[in-house]
Amino acid sequence: MDWTALILSLELAAATLLVLLPVGLVLGRWLANTRFAGKAWIEALVVLPLVLPPTVLGYYLLVSLGGASPVGQWLQAQFGLSLTFNFAGLLVASVVFNIPFMVQPVQRAFEAIPRSLGEAAAVSGLGFWQTLWRVELPLAWPGILSAMVLTFVHTLGEFGVVLMVGGSIPGETRTIAIAIYDEVQGFNLAAADQMSLFLLVVSLLAVAFSFLASARTTQRR
Amino acid sequence: MSAQPAAPTPRGLLATLSQSMPMPLLGTLRCEPEEMLALVGPSGAGKTSLLRCLAGLMRPTEGRIEVGTSVWCDTAQSLFVPPQQRQVGLVFQHYALMPHLSAEDNVALALLHLPRPERLRQARHWLEHVHLKPEQQRRRPAELSGGQQQRVAVARALARQPQLLLLDEPFSAVDQLSRLKLYQLLGELRRELRIPIVLVTHDLSEARRLCDQMVVMDQGQMLQQGSPAALHRSPRNARVADLVGIQNRFEATFETDEGEAPDPQGSRWATLVWRSRRGSGAEALRLRVRDKGKIRSGTPVSWVVAGEGLELMPAQAGPNTLACRVLEILPLGEISLCQLEPVALPGEVLQVYVTAVQRAALEAAQAGGSDVPLQLLPGALHVMPTRLG
Repeated sequence: MDWTALILSLELAAATLLVLLPVGLVLGRWLANTRFAGKAWIEALVVLPLVLPPTVLGYYLLVSLGGASPVGQWLQAQFGLSLTFNFAGLLVASVVFNIPFMVQPVQRAFEAIPRSLGEAAAVSGLGFWQTLWRVELPLAWPGILSAMVLTFVHTLGEFGVVLMVGGSIPGETRTIAIAIYDEVQGFNLAAADQMSLFLLVVSLLAVAFSFLASARTTQRR
Repeated sequence: MSAQPAAPTPRGLLATLSQSMPMPLLGTLRCEPEEMLALVGPSGAGKTSLLRCLAGLMRPTEGRIEVGTSVWCDTAQSLFVPPQQRQVGLVFQHYALMPHLSAEDNVALALLHLPRPERLRQARHWLEHVHLKPEQQRRRPAELSGGQQQRVAVARALARQPQLLLLDEPFSAVDQLSRLKLYQLLGELRRELRIPIVLVTHDLSEARRLCDQMVVMDQGQMLQQGSPAALHRSPRNARVADLVGIQNRFEATFETDEGEAPDPQGSRWATLVWRSRRGSGAEALRLRVRDKGKIRSGTPVSWVVAGEGLELMPAQAGPNTLACRVLEILPLGEISLCQLEPVALPGEVLQVYVTAVQRAALEAAQAGGSDVPLQLLPGALHVMPTRLG
């Protein structure tokens, strides 16, 4: 078992979740509650990472953020920051790649809340934050939870984008999925076996947990 | 602003609205404290939109809403008080209870301005007030019946100690038993609260039974406001007559009796020339009707007569007594609905509600092929313009 790779993967998944959760809540809630002419385009853009091959996404990220690109050069000059072949770059790629996994379930969850509940809250004297905290978030919680679990597990298992943007630098960009690939390439099947099984069990448990939790919340209604 | 002394009499609701987008809404309504007002009209008439304006969930293009001594909306002064700051109770059609909260927490949600222990104490107080048992108070909405959910929604509306109580179709989704309990509850509330209560309904008999005032709406317009009896007696126009369910509405020509002096009571009388809509137009009945001096001679008019204005088999024949054929008698429990056709005007049908005794006499007449006299009391005939508006 490559513990360094596993810890790196867990760190990346946690960081991705931390960055993406507020983004997902704001974007998902906004998409659920508004209607405008270009909405379908925004929604398509949100889903795009889901349908693109990870290598394509990784390629564009590499090209647009790399040292040769204007953005990359500007980041390097202003902040001394490089976003390729390091953890920060991995995080950016992971966040972009996971947008649909976070935003879509959150959007569906907010869409499922009847409009009249928000209105009832308003005539009951609740302001925006009170309604969000006491009505919307509790009702959207199963959706938010499953979005979080999906994002976390999906980041653990990410391969293509990571390889394109990060390469395979131990302790910096060599995540568990890359480590498995490397072990297989090196004919070390026992190690690959162990890590694959671990990833399988963790993923299964996480997804099952999210289903169980959301079933319980629905049952209570 | 000048300092005003405290208003001596409590004032109710006064709302004037005017908008054409996104949906038309036009007219004025007034509801005094302790009064119950029903908004009636076909679906899509704008009843719910009007309620939403009153609650502050919708901002009218133009209008002014005044409740008690406060102004909630005045577009002329760009004044709009949001729903959170209006002391308004709104009971939604499908209750809109929070599914994740117990009944008591639902009510407590409307009391966030109070300290936490006080919230729950008051929530329970209001739930008891609407006759919800303590063990029911701890249940979630899904574990309560429709009638119980509605009472939770009423308790939540009352918890804000509203100056105006609004109910959207309160009777549509509850069974007969809950309905009777709700009648009783509403009766209690209006006595205690002494605030204006406005409810939306499409059930006319319910509106008539419960409410002091009715506003008839159609296509966003408030066509007429009045007591149910007044609306039945004297609808403003033919559309109102149809919407309040007046069955005896007919067409005629209005003719003033030129040169005739007023009677000793000071009333002037005119003649309605009632022609059959179906016949050749040759047959006509002349009816005596009060002349209020508003309609010119020769004008085509609609006229209606309410049930109280129809006297079957009067003791002595007075003016407007018509010989009628009995067409059909429909038993409706304690009363029966009878269709009568004036002999002189075939094709026109008057609907009359009759008692069991009268029904027996009518059945005898029908069997014997004889006519029955029906008097249309001249003072009860109401004449109105045929055209809408």
